[in-house]
Amino acid sequence: MEVRVRIPSPLKKLAGGQNVINAQGRTVGEVLQWLAMTYPGLQERLRDEQGGVRRFINIYVNEEDIRFIQNLETPLKEGDQLSIIPAIAGGAFFKRRVTLTFPPKLIKEPVIYTIGQRFKVVTNIRSANVTEHVGWVTLEIDGEEPEYLKALGYLRGIGVDVEPIERDIIE
Amino acid sequence: MKFTKGLRCKECSREYPISPIHVCEFCFGPLELIYDYGKIRENLTRERIEARPKSMWRYRELLPVESDPTIGINVGFTPLIRSEGLAKALGVKELYLKNDAVNYPTLSFKDRVVSVALSKAKEFGFQIVACASTGNLANSVAALAAAGGFESYIFVPYDLEQGKILGTLVYGTNLIGIKGSYDEVNRLCSEIAENYGWAFVNINIRPFYAEGSKTFGYEIAEQLGWRTPEHVVVPMAGGSLITKVWKGFKELETIGLLDGVNTKIYGAQASGSNPIVVAFREGLDWIKPQRPQTIAKSLAIGNPADGYYALKTIRESGGWAEDVTDHEIIEGMKLLARTEGIFTETAGGVTVGVTKKLIERGIIPRDESILISITGNGLKTQEAIQDRVGHPVIIEPKLSDFEKIIAPQRKEREVRIQATV
Repeated sequence: MEVRVRIPSPLKKLAGGQNVINAQGRTVGEVLQWLAMTYPGLQERLRDEQGGVRRFINIYVNEEDIRFIQNLETPLKEGDQLSIIPAIAGGAFFKRRVTLTFPPKLIKEPVIYTIGQRFKVVTNIRSANVTEHVGWVTLEIDGEEPEYLKALGYLRGIGVDVEPIERDIIE
Repeated sequence: MKFTKGLRCKECSREYPISPIHVCEFCFGPLELIYDYGKIRENLTRERIEARPKSMWRYRELLPVESDPTIGINVGFTPLIRSEGLAKALGVKELYLKNDAVNYPTLSFKDRVVSVALSKAKEFGFQIVACASTGNLANSVAALAAAGGFESYIFVPYDLEQGKILGTLVYGTNLIGIKGSYDEVNRLCSEIAENYGWAFVNINIRPFYAEGSKTFGYEIAEQLGWRTPEHVVVPMAGGSLITKVWKGFKELETIGLLDGVNTKIYGAQASGSNPIVVAFREGLDWIKPQRPQTIAKSLAIGNPADGYYALKTIRESGGWAEDVTDHEIIEGMKLLARTEGIFTETAGGVTVGVTKKLIERGIIPRDESILISITGNGLKTQEAIQDRVGHPVIIEPKLSDFEKIIAPQRKEREVRIQATV
């Protein structure tokens, strides 16, 4: 059974950068399992240590909350749409946030320091994963709109992949 | 001196530095303050608290404001009343009323949370404050923002009681009425909060704001001579207050100011907006959202943000959750007014009505200490009872006219007195 799964922006990165994924499964539980196997980073974000869906994540099948249907046992049919939505939508994404992915040649460069020096922006690293070959950083950028845009332009210019984190519109 | 250590997710325990955020990035759970209770224990004694001015800030070590509080320094320390009349009417031995209907400056418990939120907003450097509100919060943010030199934006459902609209506008705020329920107002405000750099007291400032409610609990304990009542009835809208009253009691125990807490906490809702009561009855640990329909507009939240934690508090303390109809709410308001001389708003009618019901059912025992929370003032919700309190008798300015109406009244009274003798 193929269904469409809408991924919230904060988890997009872990789902190969996709907003919508075509996933497989006969029930909501099976789809979550499929997602976790295909995109291993999603597992711990969606389910708690006991295997239940995290309390502040709501899952909707065709706009209906699965808690009103059969929870993880909710059956799916071809073409159903499953939406994963943080219960407290918004709020956390208060300042502008971007995810930066660095190519190997820039991993050792002080890129974030540089934008703070060259433009009137204040940066704040919220999460990051940097190894020898790959690096990404989620960055909060505070500052006037023109300075913010200039900073993004500079980053793209030197070869950093810049992806603004957008908020989710749930209704 | 600094007594806070950071913010922690209530779900997954991930920690964050103190900043205007309220949601965990990892699991989307709500964030809560972390305190250094060891250090607070060393610094705070009963004597030290008692020597301070009579306001909620006498417990400042337990509040997340680091410099001297700047907003609402006179808020709190409202009367704790030993009830005679209502206790007799309900047939109980030891009854108390904690009366935030006379809280300063806007006559509801919201002044507590707002004074913490705005003092914190000032520390963070915000110039504009905002909130989503069912009315009482609107009054409080507008007033304290005016006093604190902030610009303010306030979002409410457009069909609020007139008293709450007027009592917001008078402070010179920007009031925006939304054609929708409170839950829709709240959702819109989450979007606005992301796009504007404002301090939304109950969104991005929520972890700090909510801590202000603990002072309602601290004051109860101190005013009872450093003990807690055996039964405490609290109204539930978003479900935050009930969790914070409990947290307040437990914290005083943790830092050694209370010798044990033997209290059951009871949550009260209106039948037309009772998602937490329903979850309690059905034994669920999640909340089914509702579309509220009740005269208790200050409690009309169908998708309570802290509903899960409210349930947990009730269950952990061994309490109960119950609701009352609009009719019972009005009867509760009248009963309190006629036995204690306290005019509370609909939310107070809910706590009085629920207490009455739980006593009658034997869930709250008659011979143990009981406290009813009165969180708002009746002058703000006059529409709810204007047709239910009778009318004045109108006469000409003549003694004979007065005698005409007084004679039957006195006679009726004599008959009643004879009947009771």
